[in-house]
Amino acid sequence: MSPKTTNALLHGTLDALILKTLTGGPLHGYAIARSIEDTTGEAVLIEEGSLYPALYRMERRGWVDPEWGTSELGRRAKLYRLTHAGRMQLNAETEAWRKFSAGVSRILFAR
Amino acid sequence: MKLSLRSWIWRVPVHEEVDEEIAFHVEMRTRELVAGGMEPRAARELAIARLGDLARLKRTCVDLGRKRDREMRLLQWLEELRDDVRFAVRQLRAAPLFSLIAALTLALGIGANSAMFALVDATLLRPLPFPQADRLVIVWERSESTLRGRSSPLNLLDWDRQSRTFDGMAGFIPGMGGGMVTTGADGLAETIPRQWVTAKFFDVLGVKPILGRTFVPADDRPRANAIVISEGLWRRRFAGNPNVIGQSIRLDGNPYTIIGVVPRDFQLLGPSSMWGLIPSSLRPAARGPRFFQVVGRLKAGVSIEAAGADMTAVAEGLAREYPSFNQGRGVLLEPLRTVLIGGELRRTSMLFLGVVGLVLLMCCANVANLVLARATARARELSVRSALGAGRRRIVRQLLTESLVLAAIGGTLGAMLGAAILKAAPLVLPQGLLPGAVTLSFDMRVVAFCAAAALGVGLLFGLAPAWQAGDVSSAGALNSRGATGTRALRSLLVAGEVAMAVVLLVGAGLLLRTLIAVDHVDRGYRAETALTMVVDPLGSQFPTAQSLQQFFDDVEREIRALPGVRDVAWTTTLPMGLSQAGQYFFEIVGDPPRDESRRPSADFQLVSAPYFRTLELPIVAGRGFTSLDTRQTTPVCIVNEAFVRRFLQGRSPIGVRLSIRSSLTQASPLVKEIVGVARSVKGRPDETDDLLQIYAPITQLIMDDTFLVVRPVSGRAEALAPSVRAAIGRIDKEQLVSVRSVTTLEDVAWEATARHRFRAVMVMTFAALALLLAAVGVFGMLAYSVQQRGRELGVRMALGASAGDVLRLVVGSAVRVMAAGTAIGLALAAVLGRLLTTMLFGVQPLDPATFVGVTLIASIAAVLAAAGPAWRATRTDPAVALRAE
Repeated sequence: MSPKTTNALLHGTLDALILKTLTGGPLHGYAIARSIEDTTGEAVLIEEGSLYPALYRMERRGWVDPEWGTSELGRRAKLYRLTHAGRMQLNAETEAWRKFSAGVSRILFAR
Repeated sequence: MKLSLRSWIWRVPVHEEVDEEIAFHVEMRTRELVAGGMEPRAARELAIARLGDLARLKRTCVDLGRKRDREMRLLQWLEELRDDVRFAVRQLRAAPLFSLIAALTLALGIGANSAMFALVDATLLRPLPFPQADRLVIVWERSESTLRGRSSPLNLLDWDRQSRTFDGMAGFIPGMGGGMVTTGADGLAETIPRQWVTAKFFDVLGVKPILGRTFVPADDRPRANAIVISEGLWRRRFAGNPNVIGQSIRLDGNPYTIIGVVPRDFQLLGPSSMWGLIPSSLRPAARGPRFFQVVGRLKAGVSIEAAGADMTAVAEGLAREYPSFNQGRGVLLEPLRTVLIGGELRRTSMLFLGVVGLVLLMCCANVANLVLARATARARELSVRSALGAGRRRIVRQLLTESLVLAAIGGTLGAMLGAAILKAAPLVLPQGLLPGAVTLSFDMRVVAFCAAAALGVGLLFGLAPAWQAGDVSSAGALNSRGATGTRALRSLLVAGEVAMAVVLLVGAGLLLRTLIAVDHVDRGYRAETALTMVVDPLGSQFPTAQSLQQFFDDVEREIRALPGVRDVAWTTTLPMGLSQAGQYFFEIVGDPPRDESRRPSADFQLVSAPYFRTLELPIVAGRGFTSLDTRQTTPVCIVNEAFVRRFLQGRSPIGVRLSIRSSLTQASPLVKEIVGVARSVKGRPDETDDLLQIYAPITQLIMDDTFLVVRPVSGRAEALAPSVRAAIGRIDKEQLVSVRSVTTLEDVAWEATARHRFRAVMVMTFAALALLLAAVGVFGMLAYSVQQRGRELGVRMALGASAGDVLRLVVGSAVRVMAAGTAIGLALAAVLGRLLTTMLFGVQPLDPATFVGVTLIASIAAVLAAAGPAWRATRTDPAVALRAE
């Protein structure tokens, strides 16, 4: 494992990552987790225990819409699809992250 | 739609949903790890471990899932409701005439009811506008002759000191129409209505000043000359200036200091704009004169019965201590509310509420009828929807939503109508119907009532068609007939409407006959064209009877000299109006003495000699008064015919001597000799016992509150008012004489019958409305059935039925419905009429003329309502009718 300080997930970022992951199409929970791990090269470790509550919360807010689909195993699986509201939320979070990281960068990389 | 679709498919319980999802995750992770070369058991353990506390995770997810589902259901419900409402609005728009008639009918019913609710709320439901008003009571002094008497200043003081169940007691003099005189804008004397009160008055009632202060014990001294004014007077006369506190104002020629302003709506028994202080430190003799109305505030938690027992003990103590004043005198406690809002007002409120309630029911029946008619017409639509899979519950819900939307529109319009009625109400309500402390207002309570009424009404008229629709959809048949159940229900509704209209018509008829009886009662005098006003000189300005007499004579001479004046007279009682002297006890000198408590009384009236001529009130025996009846000659009096009939039967009244006292305890009675007999006049228009009257000449006994009556040579009496007022001003050079209540004798009589007129007009209006509604109901039922049976009628005519046969067929059913309704209505009216007994005069509750008349009117209305549809039925063209389907 990497040093703990570098990859701890900033609060609120998980939602944005999930939403981003879903822009490619509906996925089930495990696929979401895998996708984030793969894309970030495991530089960002998501706590698997917080993934599902986050999904249920986002469902309630109407950012993702669940539907039954078929999994790779040929079994029925709950898939999550990004809704219009979810897309709006993703845009807002992305913009906020851009501002935040730019600000932090200006300090951390200052010569 | 997406949401509801999802919830239809998503029927997995939340905990299964979560379990399955987590299990899938674990399995996928395990497979991945195994593929990476891990041993399966270890891989599985690691997969589970990476999820953390599994139980907690599942709990959190299930929790969130449940919340999600709940919100989803609500959302879905709201969405369906929105759809239903939209659909309902579309349906209503598609039938604009139906919607308009139904909404207006409901608006009428709800509007009338909301206005009536405001009246009932103000009189029966809402607490009086005082803090903890339920603790306020009126304390009457009860004697053998009067149940509700006033108290003397010293008795009040002792009651207040000795009672243990009261927080405090205060006295006041209601003084109907009394006032204080100040110089008005036009330079003439202006009278401001005022009440005299004791120092505790405002504290007992809990009235807080909006400016300055009210009375405190330190004010309770002679000649304090402090005065509290009302907000209305403050704004009108002092332009709302806050510096008014401490200002001096000349009242009755004396300087008074304004110490406080109390809120506008504060009134207690009689209008008042000013409150002056009566000091309690009167001389000891002040146990005899009883002029205080007493109001008290009970201690918290004390019942009126407990207070009554306490006060009875106090009164018994006072009777032992001061037997000459208090022998045989007790107390009677009554809640302030009961005293303020008399039985008459309560009964009138209930009557109106019942009447408008019936009208609302009829509106319901009519709308239900309309909706039913439409529901049958829509049977096809409903069957189609049912065939397409709409459940019975869904269809019923849709129909109920339509009814409720209709009711909501009707309710909104009704609330607006109610507000308009309440705004206009003060203009039509008879003066004095509502006591000062009661105000009619359109507020949140009325709005809430409208909302509740609309909901109730919507459910009421919506249930029948919804119930019918349930049948239609389950029958499933795609045909338009088979609505006999509906027809029976509609006949029932129409019969009910007719019955209600008949009940209201009978009530209206009885009240109308009462009004006619009251208006045509022989009043005994000529009320037309006579001007009258109160002339009330200050006692301090005319200290002796001679000076007062001089003033009256001067005024009379001045007015008599005016052009257009025929007669001028003074009197202390106006027929059908106020009696300034009131009832006096009398005994016939020479007859065996009667018990004090059983001594008879009669209205005692001081008049000037021209009074009888001025009112055109004939003297039927003996003589009238003349200028020769003076203080130096024998005291004389005139009695009326009713007096002679009751007390002097069989003897010659002339020469009989009467011993007259103002109260039972008055030591030295007046002894007066009867010199004449006058025609009786009515004291009240609806009195059943004749008014007993004793007249005495004003030249032998004089009072300062006196009515002036002026009869013009010709023309309207009101035209004389300015010149008469100016004439008094010429005599009253200092402008200290209070001249008020300028009106005509006709108006006095009109006001006396106002309640009857108001009641009769109101009930008649609603009865007419009810009749109209019932006629519309009959018309609708017939028109609809003719339309429905068009084919059948066509067949009959094609087979040789004559127009007469068709007419009989169509009208026959209507006649049965009307006859049944009328019979039920008459029977109900016969039972309910008894409730009206106290409001009737000169007519019996089972008055045959009224019942026959109502039956006639109902029949005429029925014929008119049935004529159109029946005519249409006879014009049915068989060819057209048969081709129609």
